[in-house]
Amino acid sequence: MQTGAIDASPPARADGAGAGEPLFRARDLTKVYASGAGEVRALDGIDLDLFGGEFVVLLGASGSGKSTLLNILGGLDIPNSGTLQYRDLDLTGADEAELTAYRRDSVGFVFQFYNLIPSLTSRENVELITDISRDPMTPEAALELVDLSDRLDHFPSQLSGGEQQRVAIARAIAKRPEVLLCDEPTGALDVRTGIHVLEAIERVNRELGTLTVVITHNAIIADMADRVIQLSDGHIIDTQRNPTRRAASTLAW
Amino acid sequence: MRGQMIATAVVMACGLAMMIMARSLILSLEKTQEEYYARHRFADVFADLKRAPNALRARLAKIPGVAAVETRVVGNVTLELPGQREPADGLIHSLPEGRALQLHQLYLRRGRLPEAGSRGEVVVGEAFAQAHGFQPGHTIDGVIHGARQRLKIVGIALSPEFVFEARPGDTLPDNKRFGVFWMNERELAVAFELDGAFNNVLIDLAPGGVPRSVMAEVDRLLLPYGGLVAYGRRDHPSASRLEDEIRILGSISVAFPAVFLTIAAFMSSAVLSRLIRLQREQIAQLKAFGYSSRAVGVHYLKFAVVIVAGATLLGGTAGTLLGTAVVQVYHRFFKFPELFFHPHWAMIGVAFVVSALAAFAGVIGAVREAVRLPPAEAMRPEPPARYRVSLLERLGLSHLVSTSFRMALRNIERRPWQSAFTAFGLALATGIPIVPGAMRDGIGHLLSAQWDRAERQDVTIALREPGSATALAEMRSLPGVQLAEPFRSVPVRLRFEHRSRRLVVTGLPADAYLKQLLDASERAVALPPEGLLISAKLAEVLGAKPGDKLLVEVQEGRRPQLEVTLQATLTDYSGLLAYMEVGALRRLMREGETVSGAFLTVDHAHWDQFLAAVRIAPRIAALSIKNSVRKSFQTTTADMIGMITNIYFGFAFIVSFGVVYNSARIALSERNRELATLRVVGFTQREVAGVLLSELAVLTVIALPFGLVIGSQMAAGIIHTASTEAVRLPLVLTPATFAMAVVVVLVSSTFSFALVSRRIQHLDLVGVLKALD
Repeated sequence: MQTGAIDASPPARADGAGAGEPLFRARDLTKVYASGAGEVRALDGIDLDLFGGEFVVLLGASGSGKSTLLNILGGLDIPNSGTLQYRDLDLTGADEAELTAYRRDSVGFVFQFYNLIPSLTSRENVELITDISRDPMTPEAALELVDLSDRLDHFPSQLSGGEQQRVAIARAIAKRPEVLLCDEPTGALDVRTGIHVLEAIERVNRELGTLTVVITHNAIIADMADRVIQLSDGHIIDTQRNPTRRAASTLAW
Repeated sequence: MRGQMIATAVVMACGLAMMIMARSLILSLEKTQEEYYARHRFADVFADLKRAPNALRARLAKIPGVAAVETRVVGNVTLELPGQREPADGLIHSLPEGRALQLHQLYLRRGRLPEAGSRGEVVVGEAFAQAHGFQPGHTIDGVIHGARQRLKIVGIALSPEFVFEARPGDTLPDNKRFGVFWMNERELAVAFELDGAFNNVLIDLAPGGVPRSVMAEVDRLLLPYGGLVAYGRRDHPSASRLEDEIRILGSISVAFPAVFLTIAAFMSSAVLSRLIRLQREQIAQLKAFGYSSRAVGVHYLKFAVVIVAGATLLGGTAGTLLGTAVVQVYHRFFKFPELFFHPHWAMIGVAFVVSALAAFAGVIGAVREAVRLPPAEAMRPEPPARYRVSLLERLGLSHLVSTSFRMALRNIERRPWQSAFTAFGLALATGIPIVPGAMRDGIGHLLSAQWDRAERQDVTIALREPGSATALAEMRSLPGVQLAEPFRSVPVRLRFEHRSRRLVVTGLPADAYLKQLLDASERAVALPPEGLLISAKLAEVLGAKPGDKLLVEVQEGRRPQLEVTLQATLTDYSGLLAYMEVGALRRLMREGETVSGAFLTVDHAHWDQFLAAVRIAPRIAALSIKNSVRKSFQTTTADMIGMITNIYFGFAFIVSFGVVYNSARIALSERNRELATLRVVGFTQREVAGVLLSELAVLTVIALPFGLVIGSQMAAGIIHTASTEAVRLPLVLTPATFAMAVVVVLVSSTFSFALVSRRIQHLDLVGVLKALD
């Protein structure tokens, strides 16, 4: 168990890539879980700014705290201490209703196991979200963006894993969120399909200007990013800025 | 899981409680009846006559197959009770002096028997004594055979002859206005001018005695003495009522529990198959470690055993408590020295086995599916669920339904059996409250049909002896009488083919106004100049239809026999009744203008004078005041119906609560990942609850109309079962009853759903990001 997190860690302050105000401003975020007899410091004094339009990859081994950070950024979890601002919204002090509204309006989620509603077709899975959004694109347009125009009326059980994940991306971005959070989006896919999915994410980031945060333990994916933030034991141990982003189609692992 | 097992056990317990209650009540009544009849020597054969010398008793005792004979004097007594304007009446029986009663021995609750040689001492039946708060030492003024007499109560007693202590032929007891009494034989015989004679015979059969031949011989011996035809226990007013009650309980104890247990079996099947689906991996591991499929199966059956054991315990306790409460109601109708509730222990054992079988049947399918999986396959997650567009959408109506509604429809279609049983359970819950509703409305209808339309008189007077035109004129001239219509009643045995019943044929004027006869659609019908009109129930009992010729065997006088055509059947709700045009009946009896009594309307301004005049009129045996009878009927039935309603509403609430709870919990668990995902992507708790609710709402909407149909059928079945020769109810189903049933189910379902939907708060939002089912 580390102590004195901020001082002990290497340059942890991650400076923004773009100009202007950051979308997220995290200061001294700490999250502690009870675990068996003791406790686990999943996040231990994280300072981080994330800017609009950025493509950020969070790298780290299992247990490094990257999922906890993503959950807190997504309004699914609350830190024990520290502050987290999303624009003017204080995510650390928000109540359940504010967090729900925040997820509904501002955040798109992409999960490792897709989490589509099995009883709904591709189009309906997207529609479920566009029905409750303020300024959505049409489900057809969202599915067009992930190259699934020919799978509109298929059920999840009729789609391949990669196709299901692309429906999930369409569902996440149909409401035009400012933030797209992806948790191991290729974790359950083979290389070729995984790359297809990454292309879709890349395209969303580029064409819609959505701040995209991808967590992965696959270091190769980091080459796609503007910024690569590496976590270990709840600390940011390294931040790198790629001079150029590699296209997803050129990746291989 | 625990909540669902409890819900299942509770629904199962409802069925068991009903079964145990009914079987235990049957046991209690049968056991008590049997002991009481044996210990106090209830007779097997009964006969009334005009007058026979006591010497005839020895000849009766010699009839082959007779074990014991008791001869008595029995007559009417009219009573004047302080604080009660309307007269009461009763039956008074002789008690032998210097020896104990051989048959129909009294159970003396308090006080003593009249002393030999005493005058005016009576023992009074317990029900009447209780209704008036009489104690030994109190006195009552009575008129016996026209002579006023002060009667001193010395004892309060019960007799096996009056377990159902009501005026013979009455539907329900009216203990304020009818009582039974016993008095020393000599004094009573003198009062009735029967000194050294008797007018009532009781016979106990020896083992192996043949009732039919004994009755025939009794008839032959009594014929010269004005005997009415002998009858057995089947025709005895009190004994047959008790038998009817036991028979009704018998049918309730099978049909209802069966339905509850079926639902409970499906509920336990749904709960356990869900558990087994969740535990696919553990099952695979167990099998990989070398456990046999059988051992795994036995493991899951243990859950079923826990449910069933809990249900049996709960059902046994509830059944015993309900039974104890219902026995209190029986105390009002049936008078035994002691009526204890005897739990039917063997039945509780049977209940355990029956519900265990029901649960096992439900569980075995799921277990079989689980153990059939090869271990390697079971350790992989279940393949993604396959869905298809629902029927409604295939019909091109997709634009009509919202997305969450579409999810609901597709989920229902994907698991048709599970959905069907949820809907079936809800339908049943909807049906249950219709039964007491129909009973209440049936009684309301009965009251208005019988006492507003069929009977328009204020008062019915029965004469002590059939009288002539003079008697009718006397009744007409009583103060306040506005309208008087005579009737003639003749005791007969009505026979068709090999079936027969003892009853009274009533002769009415063809243009009777005060007593109306109602046909099948309850329209008034006029009496035809010839032939019989009889209760539809009587036609059913005899197996006769209009056009058939019935044999009328008159039971009094010269006992003429004649074939009479059954003209039509009538709608009535109590007793087995038969009517003829009075002239035709008199021709059959070869008599003049004889009357047995009259229906009267009385000007209420002269009511007190009317009652005072009736009290001293020597010819009048009994007076029945319509409004009093109606009121007593209402209060007696109101309590019983109130209790039945509460029990049924309780069961309906439990079933719909249990079914909704289990369906919602299973849906919540099966769709946990889906619902949590919706929360993650920004659905509010309320919206997620809406998605979960849609499916149950659709099933409820489907279930309600079926429930109304099922309930109507159940009500029809129960009312048919409870329709006896003594009392019948019409089947009346009103929108109010249906509305109440729907409300009960909606309220309990909503309550249950609200309880489950609170769990949506605790959905693991973070967990779904990672976990794969």
